[in-house]
Amino acid sequence: MKLRDVLFIALIIFVTFILLIPTLLGSIGATPPGDLRNIAKLYLYLTYNIFNKSFWTASPEAVTAIVWDYRGLDTLYETIVFYTAIIAALMLYSEILGQRDVVGGIGLSFIVKRGFSIALLAIIAVGFSTVLHGMLTPGGGFQGGAIVAVAPVIALIVFSRKLFDYSKLSYRLLVALRSLALTGIVLVPLIPLALTLGNGFIFQNQVKTLARFSYPSTIIDVPMGGSLLLLNLFEGIAVFTAFMLAFIVLLYSEDLSKKPLEGEDIGY
Amino acid sequence: MQVGIGYVENLIFILMGIVSLTSIPFVILAVKSRDLLMAVIYSAVQSTLYSLLLFLLLAPDIVLVYVAVSVGLLPLLTILLVKKVGRYEA
Repeated sequence: MKLRDVLFIALIIFVTFILLIPTLLGSIGATPPGDLRNIAKLYLYLTYNIFNKSFWTASPEAVTAIVWDYRGLDTLYETIVFYTAIIAALMLYSEILGQRDVVGGIGLSFIVKRGFSIALLAIIAVGFSTVLHGMLTPGGGFQGGAIVAVAPVIALIVFSRKLFDYSKLSYRLLVALRSLALTGIVLVPLIPLALTLGNGFIFQNQVKTLARFSYPSTIIDVPMGGSLLLLNLFEGIAVFTAFMLAFIVLLYSEDLSKKPLEGEDIGY
Repeated sequence: MQVGIGYVENLIFILMGIVSLTSIPFVILAVKSRDLLMAVIYSAVQSTLYSLLLFLLLAPDIVLVYVAVSVGLLPLLTILLVKKVGRYEA
């Protein structure tokens, strides 16, 4: 046994013990703690308080309320970062975007195809329910979008590229959907400002003392969270199409994807 | 042990300890493995255990996105990379 292996094993045992001791002692403090901090109490008190609606969000899910209402601008900028990253990745392959692949492919076996067809529906249903229940249960736009995005990526491998190259869900349609969703994310926070002629706030969700604008707080008798549902839906579509576009481009065959990278080996 | 922690909390701590200790062998296997495809699978197993850990830490929002990204999208992307660079490490 070499010295390197001995050191490696010793390091692993050391790290294990370091992790073992606080775990056995019930961690350094109690995680999760029995009492709440003041800021958490404040959010829990205000988020869904039907008796004091001065700062409420009409959403029983405090995390979504913080993400898209109290701290909405943070999430907007996160969306912009993700948007820019995907656009930059697509720009690298700008020469071949939207083209049909030169290699057809036949996909996997019949059993895998039929089995996955059933799972495909389930994945999409779970993803969309995560998006649409974002203001009621844990989850929301990004989580649901990421779950739905798994479906087309596996479909690309199981059914081969032909499924997307010859389907109606083309590159142009995906980009258009993504742009529409992002426009929606930008417009929803601005609508209160426009409809009240400047007497509202950006990212205003429910009615406040000085600004009388309010998104609908319930659908029939289900809490809707006002703008939270719309923002979650648009974010879900944007994330889903972004992941799908990225994977469609990454899964091009080498014959085609080498074209935009030609000349890289001799410098620029 | 802290005074006043009930049996449920103790059980959660014990489960968390078991889950994190179980993930360590998979991390070692993922680092040591010469077969890159197996390394990806070990890493996915470790991610599954971590998502359980996050669930026990009462962060269901993070679990939902962690499962989709670390067990769904990341292994797929890594397998794509393995396909391009070759399965076995020299």
